[in-house]
Amino acid sequence: MKSSRSRRTTLVAYLFLTPAILGLVFITVLPLLGVVGISLTHWSGLVPPTYIGLDNYRDIFTVDPYFARSVVATLYFAVGAVIMGTLYAFFVALMLNQRIPGRGFFRSVFFLPYVVPSVGASVVWGWMYEANFGVFNYFLSLFGFDKVQWLGNDITATPSIIALTVWGLGNFIVIFLAGLQSVPTSYLEAVEIDGGRAWHKFRHVTLPLMSPIIFFNVLMSLVTNLQIFIPARTLTKGGPNNSTLYMVLLIFREGFERNNFGHAAAVSLIFFLFIGALTGLIFATSRKWLFFEGA
Amino acid sequence: MTRQSMHRVNVPVTIVISILAIACIFPFFWMLRSSFMSNLEINRYPPTLLPTLWHWENYPQTLRTFPFGRYLLNTLTITVPALLGTLLTSTLAAYTFARLNFRGKKFWFMMVIASMLMPGAVTIIPIFLGWTQLGLSNGYVPLIVPAFLGGGGFNIFLGRQFLLTIPRDLDEAAYIDGAGHARILFQVLLPLIKPVLISIFLFTFIIYWNDLLGPLIYITRNQQNTIAQGLANFRAGFGTDYRAIMAACTMSIAPSVALYFIGQRYFIEGIVLSGLKA
Repeated sequence: MKSSRSRRTTLVAYLFLTPAILGLVFITVLPLLGVVGISLTHWSGLVPPTYIGLDNYRDIFTVDPYFARSVVATLYFAVGAVIMGTLYAFFVALMLNQRIPGRGFFRSVFFLPYVVPSVGASVVWGWMYEANFGVFNYFLSLFGFDKVQWLGNDITATPSIIALTVWGLGNFIVIFLAGLQSVPTSYLEAVEIDGGRAWHKFRHVTLPLMSPIIFFNVLMSLVTNLQIFIPARTLTKGGPNNSTLYMVLLIFREGFERNNFGHAAAVSLIFFLFIGALTGLIFATSRKWLFFEGA
Repeated sequence: MTRQSMHRVNVPVTIVISILAIACIFPFFWMLRSSFMSNLEINRYPPTLLPTLWHWENYPQTLRTFPFGRYLLNTLTITVPALLGTLLTSTLAAYTFARLNFRGKKFWFMMVIASMLMPGAVTIIPIFLGWTQLGLSNGYVPLIVPAFLGGGGFNIFLGRQFLLTIPRDLDEAAYIDGAGHARILFQVLLPLIKPVLISIFLFTFIIYWNDLLGPLIYITRNQQNTIAQGLANFRAGFGTDYRAIMAACTMSIAPSVALYFIGQRYFIEGIVLSGLKA
């Protein structure tokens, strides 16, 4: 009786899980194997692929003029966006956690950019960055500075895209604020009784208790931001001087605009290993600064 | 600390946060203000804060070259089925992981969690070539079907976490009454997990509304473009007519902003749930 019931449960479980398992197989596992396979071929899409061994990889590391540039640009953008985004969100959340009127209202305001589709955000910021009539250069001129080609030179292009990305990180603010509100006041009061000042409270109570939340969100946003595509595709097309030719844009261009699927797949696989190594690095160092209550 | 001081407002922080909030809203204001200006006024330097004359006709004029209604319909053609698929299949998986005990549960759950860290952009090439082999690489099918395959690890995880907080008494009572798992899930538990379903709905909506890479790969005909795609093309094609571009942009982000104001509470709850409970 009992075994037939548990057999039925197993049957129901796998029935319910069928879509998810098909998803794992067809969206994750097989495509990953596919990336490996395709990367060993020359495939233009029009004629059947031909096996060329590791030639694509050799080309990437020797003659491809874009790859190295793309890796650097992607890393620059993603690390910049994650660090600036975390600092910005933490700073705003800390302030929202003070005694201020209309906290809920302010929270809604800072969250709002998160729901704006990336293309829309890019287009609006692109107009504000515009060199001749854009409002940012007007603000600069009020302080006596010359006009800057925000998206038109390779020094400011990626920082400009970082700024509009950070603006959209309202979800971080909401998460950090909720985390701050869950820090027990008794801990903070204990530091106060011991004569600790605001900095001590922050350094020895708030920050350690928040570290798992920060860790998780930094990890997720790093993976997201390494895949930056929309602002670069909408505003800069990878330029100027390939300074915003981020990895996904490179893969897209090689694959879908140049029909060079083998090469694009090889770049994809390296990109995958690159992301894996970075997340691995974060996990490895996390033991040093991560604090788990009761652990 | 006295009760009095607990209620005192921190004035310097209030001032700083107000300035930051104005800066945060500024891009919205600038977009709207620009969308109502004449072409002469928008390119005036130094810029004026508000239009001297509100050119409402910018919108109907923009619509002549930016078929927003068409794009909206196209986007909904993808988003509505994708929402259905995501809600249905992620709930099924979430229920299974939260409530059923079976062989291989740990393995599949680990797979789902691992897939959350899987960067989707890595596999666009093989997935596209796969759809090409099936002869379906041109159209909406590749954008909709994946939603019916589990709806993403993140949503499964979110649903499971929420289900774990609901006491088992109800499903056990129903089970004793002879209800099957489908009935327990859809009749007993569904009303109770409404908040998480709404959160999944909102996040999925945002993701599909946001997507540009997918439509660029699979939708080649202008007639079938989504809003994101249409807006990106419009900007590329009307490079300097920022008055029209801002009008198009305003229309494009309006649905998301409207949805935010309607579902704000669930957005905030869902974000907190996703960011803290993990």
